[in-house]
Amino acid sequence: MAKKLLDILQERFGASVILETHSHVGDDTAVIAPEHWREVALFLRDDPRCKMSMLVDLCGVDRFDQLPRLEVVAHLHSIELNHRLRIKTRIGDEACNDAVVASLVPVWAGANWFERETFDMFGIRFDGHPDLRRILLYPEFVGHPLRKDYPATKTQPLVPYREGDDVLGKLAPFREDEGLSFGRKHLDYVKEDQ
Amino acid sequence: MEPLDLEVDDSSLELPSDPMQLMMGPSHPAMHGTVRIVLDLSGETVLKADVQIGYLHRGFEKSCERGTWNQVFPYVDRCNYSSPMLNNVGYALAVEKLCGLTVPERCQYYRVIMGELARIADHLVCNAAMAMELGAFTPFLWWTRAREMIYDIFEEETGARVTHSFARIGGMADPPNKHFKDAVRAALPKVLAANAEGVSLLQNNRIFMDRTMGVSPISAADAIALSWTGPCLRSAGVPYDVRKASPYLVYDRFDFDVPVGTTGDNYDRFMVRVEEITQSARIIEQALDQMPDDGPVNVDDPRFVFPDKDDVYTTIEATIRHFKIVMEGVPVPKGEAYGYTEAANGELGFYIVSDGSGTPYRVRIRPPSFAIVGGLSKLITGQMIPDIIPTFGSLNMIGGECDH
Amino acid sequence: MPMPTFKIDGKEVPYEDGDTILMAAYRAGIDIPYYCWHPGLSVAANCRMCLVEILPPPGRPAMMLDVLELDKDKGEYVVVRKPKLQPACQVPVTPNLEVLSETSPHVARARHAVQEFLLLNHPVDCPICDQAGECKLQDYWLEHMRTSKRMHEEIIHKPKGVSFGPTIVYDAERCIVCTRCVRFCSEVVKDPVLSKRERGNLGEIIVAPGRQLDHAYTLMTEHVCPVGALTSKDFRFKARVWFLRSAPTICQGCATGCNAWLDFDPRYQKVYRHRPRDNKNVNQYWMCDEGMLSYAAVSENRVASARVDGKKTTVERGVSMTAASIKDVPKGKVAVLLSAQHSNEDNFALVTAAKQLGFDNLYVTGKAPGKGDDVLRHPDKNPNTAGVTLVAGSSPKPFGDLLCDIDSGSITHVLALGSAVPVEEAAAVQALKRLSFLAVVGVWDGPLAKAATVLIPACSWAEGEGTFVNAKGMAQRSAKAIQPVDDARPAWETILRIVEATGETMPFKKLKDIQSAMPAPAEKAPEKKAEEPSQAGEASASN
Repeated sequence: MAKKLLDILQERFGASVILETHSHVGDDTAVIAPEHWREVALFLRDDPRCKMSMLVDLCGVDRFDQLPRLEVVAHLHSIELNHRLRIKTRIGDEACNDAVVASLVPVWAGANWFERETFDMFGIRFDGHPDLRRILLYPEFVGHPLRKDYPATKTQPLVPYREGDDVLGKLAPFREDEGLSFGRKHLDYVKEDQ
Repeated sequence: MEPLDLEVDDSSLELPSDPMQLMMGPSHPAMHGTVRIVLDLSGETVLKADVQIGYLHRGFEKSCERGTWNQVFPYVDRCNYSSPMLNNVGYALAVEKLCGLTVPERCQYYRVIMGELARIADHLVCNAAMAMELGAFTPFLWWTRAREMIYDIFEEETGARVTHSFARIGGMADPPNKHFKDAVRAALPKVLAANAEGVSLLQNNRIFMDRTMGVSPISAADAIALSWTGPCLRSAGVPYDVRKASPYLVYDRFDFDVPVGTTGDNYDRFMVRVEEITQSARIIEQALDQMPDDGPVNVDDPRFVFPDKDDVYTTIEATIRHFKIVMEGVPVPKGEAYGYTEAANGELGFYIVSDGSGTPYRVRIRPPSFAIVGGLSKLITGQMIPDIIPTFGSLNMIGGECDH
Repeated sequence: MPMPTFKIDGKEVPYEDGDTILMAAYRAGIDIPYYCWHPGLSVAANCRMCLVEILPPPGRPAMMLDVLELDKDKGEYVVVRKPKLQPACQVPVTPNLEVLSETSPHVARARHAVQEFLLLNHPVDCPICDQAGECKLQDYWLEHMRTSKRMHEEIIHKPKGVSFGPTIVYDAERCIVCTRCVRFCSEVVKDPVLSKRERGNLGEIIVAPGRQLDHAYTLMTEHVCPVGALTSKDFRFKARVWFLRSAPTICQGCATGCNAWLDFDPRYQKVYRHRPRDNKNVNQYWMCDEGMLSYAAVSENRVASARVDGKKTTVERGVSMTAASIKDVPKGKVAVLLSAQHSNEDNFALVTAAKQLGFDNLYVTGKAPGKGDDVLRHPDKNPNTAGVTLVAGSSPKPFGDLLCDIDSGSITHVLALGSAVPVEEAAAVQALKRLSFLAVVGVWDGPLAKAATVLIPACSWAEGEGTFVNAKGMAQRSAKAIQPVDDARPAWETILRIVEATGETMPFKKLKDIQSAMPAPAEKAPEKKAEEPSQAGEASASN
């Protein structure tokens, strides 16, 4: 049952649109070329063999060591046919510029807030989104925190610190690497402009 | 006395009128867990509503990337803090899916029972809060008392009433206590009785019905398009429940029904939750009967599960095993997985990406209430301010989960 | 001509003439576990962890052994035939060789058994052992054993905390007697001071009677030790390795330019130790004790803040004073002092500054020469003497000449980079104090700092990227480890600011501009690529 979805996609769109597929641990996944993002989504929603009526989730992943760097991952589900699919697309260069992809709000209304959150956390812009602004963070926030080169301990003073208040001195002396990510000792996310 | 304005013809009056903007929240008794709704009002009618969340955003997903896989459990507890056990189980199942682990049967029943108890607690408090905001204080007190009975069971089992951090990758932190089954069997009828009694006060109550029936209805198609799941979706008439559609753990061994509403209004959402409590109790009773009384609770894989503490202190092999799990984290193989369960609010999904090390590369929580609150503005547009209260209450937005 | 290959687990692996199976696998990045083998030492084959199954040549029978195995159904021991496994570290590769490593169940059982024996009498020391986190016993237990202890008796107790010498402590209980330390001392240092005593359960390492472990490479014995038996007095109990991050740097101890890993704790921005980095062309797998301990220079004796006439001030003031003082001086009277302790970037910035400002008198300073040997140490104790010559275009005049020129009065103002001088300190300070003006951009408090009119703190090698040219003429890059300490700024940045404060402009703004502008050493014969395992990162052969 599950394999059919990937076959349907490949048959309909071909290898120039469906760049990669896999079914690791049973999750059917297809990597879509970014220009065809909305087209594939519409097809998946409307085709009677797929009938993906619900967009379950839409999020981003920062694949720091790959190019294109940012991934938009959408999980789809069909209530009627009870099957699931994960579609992804990869955008953005090393510095996360040109991270733009079509918005899925015209396809599923629920994509609205999910796309706003992905924009908030990664800086990915969604073309055609009716109201693309930050959702979880305040509007004056600078940066996109879930990117790997955003240090987890970065501070954002919105209101200037009071005079005489040693606020920075009271912070824990932790820097970007808190020390417990043992397995990734050799990856150096925070690159500095020297 | 004659009305004073008898002579005045309303239509001849040209009163200037602009929509008034009202900030509702974030610090507001009815804005559960801090949400701000910016309302454009014409009189009491809502013309436009901008729901602003994020006041409880604590960087859960970023924090997960700075520890090990097992260190995520305290974080997920604090997502849906009304039913933390369901979050624990949901996350554990997602990681176990990627690792290819299946926990022993005893653990599966244990997780089911604890999860269903958490679901009951969540529904009780959601309904209680909704009723209280409409002025019905008594059911709130009764249902909170019933929730305390459930919390007592959790406290006995896990050591904490709310934030248990009790599940682990590959099992649970501890096996069930000797008197676990007795305690649950003793508490369950009392909880059900409290539920029924409270509902009897509200079900046919004129005020309650007027304020919730026909208020903020939603069609099935709209709900699906908005990515709604759980009781809110089922109240609109869509019988979708992850436990039935893609059974996980041992849910396929139980006989239970999925309550479904018709119009998707506040009343339906309330009643769906009430009925779900009864169904959860059914599941728990069957699970208690079927659950083995002995046997391992953790998977038999030394890379994932701690050894006995005695061995850790006396043998080098156990010390090394303990060291590797704690300091390096459990070795989740490289890849990605989406694990989903039926939490109290709907489909709780965890999309996890692993780079093969003991530290998560990406943990994405798909909060059911995020999608549901995304539809709130559609629901209240056209309604009046007092309608916002039961509507918002019936959606069961849990701030920790929605804002993660 | 393509390299000849042989098969490991069905995969074609290239090999060179004379390679053993393990050497070829190590080069190809295939993991065959080992304890006693080391690419830089002779083969001992005593740990038996690298046992692999070698398929017999076609047409020949496999060499089988009769072993006893417990037949669970019968409940008694029966004779079973198993192929004889061979140590991969010892067997030379021959054409068409077929080796089974991960795909052979016999190999898996052998590895389990060897690991079990090695851990049988091992003390429960992980919580206090420095090797925790980089210990092969831990890693191989997880990969190849995964079962618990079957022995219920007390472990054999042996001496713990034995001081072998001024730098090393030995713990016999943790020792697996792989003899890497013994072989290192006798083969690389040519000083066979360590040897093995007794055998079986009582085996331990001892220092030759009447002697101490005191040659110039003792810390390497700690480095090659795969377990926590040998620990360095300098590092023990100071930090846990999982909190440390490693930056690939170049040792600053002498002109050999050994490649190193500088381990630091990013939370506290503190540097804890050096480890050697493998480089076939420079230092192979080793570093000397002097170099290993030179990491301490990052935090010792540093110039913390700018000083004018001995009084603490801001870097801005120092820069502006320097600019004002050298601006209108007759050009012939100004000397520019380069430093063989600083990187190419720092020196090139100063050379370019000299050109912009019209100063022609270039001199060089550095540390005085010391002891060398034929293993690694070079008598020139400066990391970048050749680099200074390279970026200056020609050899600058030695420091002695500068002192003479100051004496004769032909030099009255000096703009200096560096901290140490190659002559006697007191005499140098006295001579330098005769100058009308001495601006020093330096890292450490030394004679230059003491005599300086204006002293501006500079970043050490650990706080910025730098290129250093060693005695062989190889330019090597050292990476940044920690953030600048106190008020220190990179020397090249300070020099840029000084020049800009005089009103002139410099042709670069950022470090990468300097790096593209500065000269590179002449192309030599193509270097052999360093023999590093394919899974890069900071694992060196000895871990």
